[in-house]
Amino acid sequence: MDAMTMNELRVVYGDGTLGLHGNSFDYIFSYEKGGLESLVVNTAEWLYRVPKLTFWRATTDNDRGSHFSTQSAAWFGADMFITLKDINVKIDDKSLGLPTAPDNNRFSNEIFAKNVAITFSFLTATTPQTTVDVTYLVSQNGNITIKVNYTGTSGLPELPALGLSFIMPEVADGFQYTGLSGETYPDRQAGALTGTFDIVGLPLTPYLVPQEMGMHMATHSLTVKNAVSQPTHNHSTSINRLTFNQHTQPFAFSALPYTAIELESATHIEELPLPRRSVIAIYGAVRGVGGIDSWGTDVEPEYHISGETNHAFDFTIVPFQ
Amino acid sequence: MLEKLEWLDDPRVFRVGKLPAHSDHTMYRTTDEIKQKQSSFTKSLDGDWQFHFSENPSQRLIGFEKIDFNAEQFDHIAVPGHIELQGFGQIHYINTLYPWEGKIYRRPPYSLSHDKSYKGLFSEAADNTVGQYIKTFTLPNNFAQHDVHIQFDGVEKAMYLWLNGHFIGYSEDSFSQAEFDLTPYLQAGENKLAVEVYKYSTAAFIEDQDMFRFSGIFRSVRLLVMPQVNLVDLFLKPTVDKQLHTGNLSMSLSFDGKLTGTSAKIVVQSPSQNIVWQETVAISSHVTPSSAVIENVALWSHKHPNLYQLLITIFDANQNIIAVVPYSFGFRRLHKDSHNRVTLNNVPLRLNGVNRHEWSPTGGRTITMSDMTKDISIFKNNHINAVRTSHYPNQIPWYNLCDQNGIYMMAETNLESHGSWQKMGAVEPSYNVPGSIPEWQDVVLDRAKSNFEQFKNHPAILFWSLGNESYTGDNIAAMDAYFKSVDDSRLTHYEGVFQNRIDEDRISDVESRMYAHPKAIKDYLTNHPKKPYLNCEYMHSMGNSVGGLGDYMQLFDEFDSYLGGFIWDYIDQALYVTDKVTGQQVLRYGGDFNDRHSDYEFSGDGIVFANRQEKPAMQEVRYYYGRYDNE
Repeated sequence: MDAMTMNELRVVYGDGTLGLHGNSFDYIFSYEKGGLESLVVNTAEWLYRVPKLTFWRATTDNDRGSHFSTQSAAWFGADMFITLKDINVKIDDKSLGLPTAPDNNRFSNEIFAKNVAITFSFLTATTPQTTVDVTYLVSQNGNITIKVNYTGTSGLPELPALGLSFIMPEVADGFQYTGLSGETYPDRQAGALTGTFDIVGLPLTPYLVPQEMGMHMATHSLTVKNAVSQPTHNHSTSINRLTFNQHTQPFAFSALPYTAIELESATHIEELPLPRRSVIAIYGAVRGVGGIDSWGTDVEPEYHISGETNHAFDFTIVPFQ
Repeated sequence: MLEKLEWLDDPRVFRVGKLPAHSDHTMYRTTDEIKQKQSSFTKSLDGDWQFHFSENPSQRLIGFEKIDFNAEQFDHIAVPGHIELQGFGQIHYINTLYPWEGKIYRRPPYSLSHDKSYKGLFSEAADNTVGQYIKTFTLPNNFAQHDVHIQFDGVEKAMYLWLNGHFIGYSEDSFSQAEFDLTPYLQAGENKLAVEVYKYSTAAFIEDQDMFRFSGIFRSVRLLVMPQVNLVDLFLKPTVDKQLHTGNLSMSLSFDGKLTGTSAKIVVQSPSQNIVWQETVAISSHVTPSSAVIENVALWSHKHPNLYQLLITIFDANQNIIAVVPYSFGFRRLHKDSHNRVTLNNVPLRLNGVNRHEWSPTGGRTITMSDMTKDISIFKNNHINAVRTSHYPNQIPWYNLCDQNGIYMMAETNLESHGSWQKMGAVEPSYNVPGSIPEWQDVVLDRAKSNFEQFKNHPAILFWSLGNESYTGDNIAAMDAYFKSVDDSRLTHYEGVFQNRIDEDRISDVESRMYAHPKAIKDYLTNHPKKPYLNCEYMHSMGNSVGGLGDYMQLFDEFDSYLGGFIWDYIDQALYVTDKVTGQQVLRYGGDFNDRHSDYEFSGDGIVFANRQEKPAMQEVRYYYGRYDNE
């Protein structure tokens, strides 16, 4: 029976990657870079680098005043640098460990599967270290459900954020999401309206000093438009869309042209580099922004993210609407 | 009278030749002029003035006020406008420390002992920049043979005025109107005004507000011709009975001029433009018409800012109209009961407010009518119902806009001496002014009086604020007593007694705090509070902030002596600059102008950005302020 008519995934057991191919989608997971390296849908590439665990947020004025960033500075380093510890590939629920050569010599170019799970285990650059697992579950329709598991470890400072960021090759034309209006945080979302919102481009909030911005809490669905790189021969003007859907729980996200570290480094908005890429960060935990004062008072305790307890979140990437 | 430079060094000298503060009414020649909002009794002097800048008093041009002075070397400057935003001097942002921090050692005269007066403290200072202004004007034909006054709406921080080479007066208090009589030295045809503006005087110790530090003639200037009869002052006292049924307007009018045989017809129109009361009185220097009793009175409140219209028509002995004076006022009943509940028209008062500096990213504190109407529209769209004029009297039209749009006002006196009692966050009042120092009492009382006299007829004002962050003492207590002596229709407000409760029983009708934690407020209100509670500043909206607003709003549900408060603050203070690298217009803040010591981005605490774009947090403000908007 022809696997393609069964719509199964074609699995390419590479020596440094795992390739998964389906009807109009092609995914490559890098064992070296520790994640999904290529996400191509209808020839358009959605990824610039592998998704990046995100622990830092650009310091807000209240963070600076309460010395939160100082107390949690370990996460700044952890956001920049991380160790890939382990990889495990599961094909149709059967664990294969890391199937590189010579183990993969037994395969061919015609291997198919109904579902594939690949887990990357990371060790954080903190003292003490802790483990964060990122698991990609790819089903034969191309949907990728991503689960992030953070292991709480005694002695770790509070987390500024916990998310997974997708750096996309170009600046998106815009995005549409179903969730809360405006820029929201756990302690600042009562006034938001629920609905579906269309945003043009990747707007910045022009805070006097660039800082954490653009968060959208309690999101059910996010669709990013045209943040892709196309092969040079492609002259299609059709709009490419990639959707992030809620899996077990709503998620938070921001869609900006900069990483937290880039924002952190600027003292004025005009010091930020020219927008060049999209940084779509999906968050499982968001710290509140606070607001009582900006010179010492911390965010209310219920809006902190403990580094000492476990955190898990998930969401699904849907390549086709 | 010979002007003295030493006045800059002496806190006891703050007004010389300056006319007493009075109500902010405008006289018109005809009712048509009222409709056109253009009085032929006034002539604006705004526009281009000749200007000379000096780094310090010793470098200023001596004799520039004389008629024969050759001013060819003068530059030009726009009035109104700050000197520092027009290419002279130093743009500087600093919060609590004094602007000379790290450059010059200073203590306020008489603060450490009664014999320490510090001769030359400002008059011989190296850092006290001087702006010398010249304006030549031609006296309008209809001004001839009349008394002529000049009004300066705002000059920072100390000014000397001459006309045709003759000294007219001296004024401090940057944010209250200064009016002088030019008549004695006025001549037909061309006249030469000369104004010398000093960046610092002893006023600098009590104008230490958290803001960019500017100098210059930054608000409008105008000539006023006095008609045969001048309405000097108008004091309206509208009251309402407990049942909110009957309004009672008592009036007190002061006149000046050739009064014999003249009369005034006083008409009150209801908000629906029906004449509800009128009376004609003979004019004398002081007139008290009979009380206007108005049944079924339409009350003024946030949601229903009903305004009555007073029209005073002044007639000469032959029944010809000399002048007409319109004034809008409102009836409302502000009441504090023995349980510390404050009501307006018998409804609990809820202040869903903001602190507001006057600010424009291009003009600094020189703002326009369009900036003000934009602010009102942002207030209305977001259910902001109250404003604290932090931390000084604002431009007059702002009070009218608040009357018309139902914005409750905390009218703050121009006083802040933050650097004299708090250093690096610690309370350290060793050289605090005004404190209880006798030499510093008259100046702060004068500021209170200017605030009261100018704005006393505005229904929007519910609180007189004694000032901001100036600690405590006899002089602040004297300000409180002054407001109480002249006005029983409003409450007094001052936060500084929280820093030292020794004076709390004689200062402020409300327990006012800044940035108190909701739990601390709850503690106060559950333990036999002495006063109603309000937040004169809360929710520090710096950068990405305003989380946790709901915890404050819920206090309305729990306590009927909780009055809410004023978010700090309304608008970021930042200035547009052309970026050298990109050529783009960008917003810059403290420290970006080589200004040191600075508090950098600490001026960016608005719920709107400096260009009045709303910050994302506004949707949270709109939600809670809307939900708790009761009347």
